[in-house]
Amino acid sequence: MRNLLNFLLKYNNIIVFLILEGIAFYWLTNGNTYHNSKMVKTMQGITRRMEGRITNAKNYLSLREVNLQLAEENSALRNRLEQFNHADAPGFDSVNDTTAGRQYIFTAARVTNNSVNKQKNYFTISKGSLQGVEPDMAVTDGNNAVGMVVACSRNFSVAISLLNLDFRLSARLKSSGHFGSLTWDGRSPRYAILNEIPQHISVSEGDTIETTAFSAVFPEGIGIGRVSGIKKSGSDFYRITVELFADFRQLQYVTVIGNLKREEQLELESQYQ
Amino acid sequence: MINTILKYGLISVVLILLQILVLNNIQFSGYVNPYVYIMIILILPSLTPSWLILLIAFFTGLVIDLFFGSPGMHASATLIAGFARPFVLRIIAPRDGYDPGSSLSMASYGFRWFVIYATTIVLIHHTSLFFIEVFRFTDFFRTILRIILSSIFTLAFILLIEYYRKGR
Repeated sequence: MRNLLNFLLKYNNIIVFLILEGIAFYWLTNGNTYHNSKMVKTMQGITRRMEGRITNAKNYLSLREVNLQLAEENSALRNRLEQFNHADAPGFDSVNDTTAGRQYIFTAARVTNNSVNKQKNYFTISKGSLQGVEPDMAVTDGNNAVGMVVACSRNFSVAISLLNLDFRLSARLKSSGHFGSLTWDGRSPRYAILNEIPQHISVSEGDTIETTAFSAVFPEGIGIGRVSGIKKSGSDFYRITVELFADFRQLQYVTVIGNLKREEQLELESQYQ
Repeated sequence: MINTILKYGLISVVLILLQILVLNNIQFSGYVNPYVYIMIILILPSLTPSWLILLIAFFTGLVIDLFFGSPGMHASATLIAGFARPFVLRIIAPRDGYDPGSSLSMASYGFRWFVIYATTIVLIHHTSLFFIEVFRFTDFFRTILRIILSSIFTLAFILLIEYYRKGR
């Protein structure tokens, strides 16, 4: 007994260190798998209110830029509306069913927490399950893909950012329609990598990269970025560097896009895969 | 005694606030992320028992983790730095040993000693932190580059704060 006590006294530093380090690593491994970002959300619940205030102040300072962006979007939508007005109106139209013929629903949200300097970045948005946001909905900054919702609380959602080593996105060349898979290599928040485009296809710098509807998350044709560098890797594929359209460093308002027909598509596909 | 605790408590709060409100928002490429809060571990008096250093290190890391949303990363890295501190202090001890009353500052032990001490601890902390963050050894040299660049900036901030403390 005395020996044991002596032992404990002699090595108390190492024992305290190992116990605390054990707790920290348990926390680390538990909290860092893809789907456990729910846990991140719980822990952030404590600091959320404070971050909300900081974000408020930041938003106020950049109202001018946001205004400009909204004005541009408005004008684009007006143009769009004009096209519809001139098209021949169909004869009878039921107004009761608001979802008839619709596949996608849109809602705007504010970004309350965001990071770009980690290897696995997530951001938090200010709408949750009460506002109809669900996991697996797409997130854009208005025009361009920025991420995907992974977890929702009642009033907040956590989305995995495109700037995350775990995130993969099906993307295609706008010009030819050939598709590949877009990932981030963890280097710069301005660039991502498009793989799996075979080398016999002609690609040139400046080509637009956009989303496909294959994963039933993003609608087809949402912008991602433009080709800024093409390298032939050892295999038969290109390694294309994509300059992202979205500026992740000043992400403030996002549009969340839900796919009303996603479950139908996945259910049908699951019978054959 | 009470005075010392109050003083270090105040410094800790200021450093954590500086980290959360200012330094976390510096997004100067993905390579430079200064983590100045490690200074809390750096300047504790030399008499502090090791177990207390470990506890302080753990809770500092915990608070930073809560604000970062990075579970366990900063807690484990700061713990490693706190655990290494007594060994580092023993290796670079000045000829007359440590004065039990004074804090481990530039004012007490000189510029050269403080730079060696701070560099060692910051490198230990940043190395553990960045490797725990990526959790893989591919892109080894890029992680090393991130460690070196971030350490330089962290040290610059620490020396600035230290000069300010010395001047008063």
